[in-house]
Amino acid sequence: MIELKNISKRFNNFKAVDDVSFTVDKGEFFGLLGPNGAGKTTIISMLSTVLLPSEGTIKIDGNILDRKASGTKRKISVITQEYSMRQDMTLDEVMEYQGRLYFMSKKDIKRKTDELFEFANLTEFRGRTVRRLSGGMKRKLMVCRALLTDPEILLLDEPTAGMDALSRRQMWSLLRKLNSDKITIILTTHYMEEAQALCDRVALINVGKLEKIDSPSNLINELGEYAIDENIDSDMKSVFFHDKQAAIEYLQNTNNKAELRTTTLEDVFLECYGRKIDLD
Amino acid sequence: MGILAVLWEKWVEFKRDLYKITVSIMILPLMYLLVFSFGIKFSINGEPYFHYLIPGLIAMTTMTSSFGAIAQNMTVQRLYERALDQVMVSPTPLWQFILGQVIGGSLRGLYAAIIILILTSPLRGGLIFTPLSIGILFLNGLVFSTIALVLSFMAKNHTDAPRFNSYIIMPMSFLCNTFFSTENMPHGIREFVEILPLSQTCEMVRNIANGRVASIRGIVILIAYLVAGLIISAQFLYKKKNL
Repeated sequence: MIELKNISKRFNNFKAVDDVSFTVDKGEFFGLLGPNGAGKTTIISMLSTVLLPSEGTIKIDGNILDRKASGTKRKISVITQEYSMRQDMTLDEVMEYQGRLYFMSKKDIKRKTDELFEFANLTEFRGRTVRRLSGGMKRKLMVCRALLTDPEILLLDEPTAGMDALSRRQMWSLLRKLNSDKITIILTTHYMEEAQALCDRVALINVGKLEKIDSPSNLINELGEYAIDENIDSDMKSVFFHDKQAAIEYLQNTNNKAELRTTTLEDVFLECYGRKIDLD
Repeated sequence: MGILAVLWEKWVEFKRDLYKITVSIMILPLMYLLVFSFGIKFSINGEPYFHYLIPGLIAMTTMTSSFGAIAQNMTVQRLYERALDQVMVSPTPLWQFILGQVIGGSLRGLYAAIIILILTSPLRGGLIFTPLSIGILFLNGLVFSTIALVLSFMAKNHTDAPRFNSYIIMPMSFLCNTFFSTENMPHGIREFVEILPLSQTCEMVRNIANGRVASIRGIVILIAYLVAGLIISAQFLYKKKNL
């Protein structure tokens, strides 16, 4: 179990994360959602010890996570938003370096690298340097590198950013498979349909504060399962209903162009953050 | 062992750039040899000047090569490639990462020293280089790799690495017993320069080369620099909240 307790992170006078607490159960698929600058990446960076919290503690399976916690860190792999790897190494060298840093035998590194490259269609590029890969291939390499060490916890910071639709779906399938193998996954994403499709629970974060935490279906139910998009003076407004009959009646009574649909996590996101932007 | 993982990474880098590394090692010392030994011909105590110069040049080369192997590379890895994050996340203990970097840097310095020893072999006359000289040069490499590591951790952007070279390596190259003795320096400056690591290395290697005994004081000073550098590096990696 991952436990964040009263975590805050300051950069000089700016508070990027403000007193955030939550737990993630073993084998859970957990999403961190929020607008740009909400503090999602900062939380992932603290979970990977690249950043240390200004206040609060992070525990994994009851052990405090810090930079000395080698045994705990062995359980974690990270896919960062940036391509955090040496650009002058070949794909094979990137994998071998990772394996060596995780104390894997050379034989295991070779075997798992072959499997992962085969799976990610990277075999023919294994002699290339990272610098000469496309963005999508670099992203795939980061996935291979993260999976090389058989992690128990996978931290994913925008793992599908910049991927085409097909690659994104392939990544979703892979993540589902990993999660079904009891790997705990914490994911940040801008794609709401991704969070809705994958996550057991999501945390909505804004300006460093935890706003809501629940399953996507509960958050949707809280807002109303049915939505009507209504065009009012060339502007579109969404109205939400718990009851389908009430939604249909509203649709029949309105003079504006309107359409009934089911509510999505994106609606929850927009309601949560759009309202704040309006107030500001 | 995390140290071996880091040394392997350094070896990959070395193998790939072997030609470039070797050529760049040779250029500056060759220039100094040409200018000071063949261009401006003079002697010290009746001995050819290059008998004085060669031990200093070798010590200086271990300094520049060890420093260069770490400073630029680590600055780029930390600030731009973010490759240091890969190490921070991994279970490799960070002290092992530091030692791997420092030993790797020093081995690069030792490689440079061997190249210069080979290049200067026709000119060396009766100069003696023993395993102790090699050990001192290795220690010198450790010191300057550690200094490079500390500075690269402090760097704010990639332009800082060449600046460190101008502020630290360049002045030491000229002042620290390499080309001339510190004995004639003004009081105050002399004491300061003499306590710098390259001054100690030059003096010890030169003493051994001329059949004299290397002072234990020099080794103690080098170890003191090394320990201080390692402690600062460890403090940075273990304690700094924002890398």
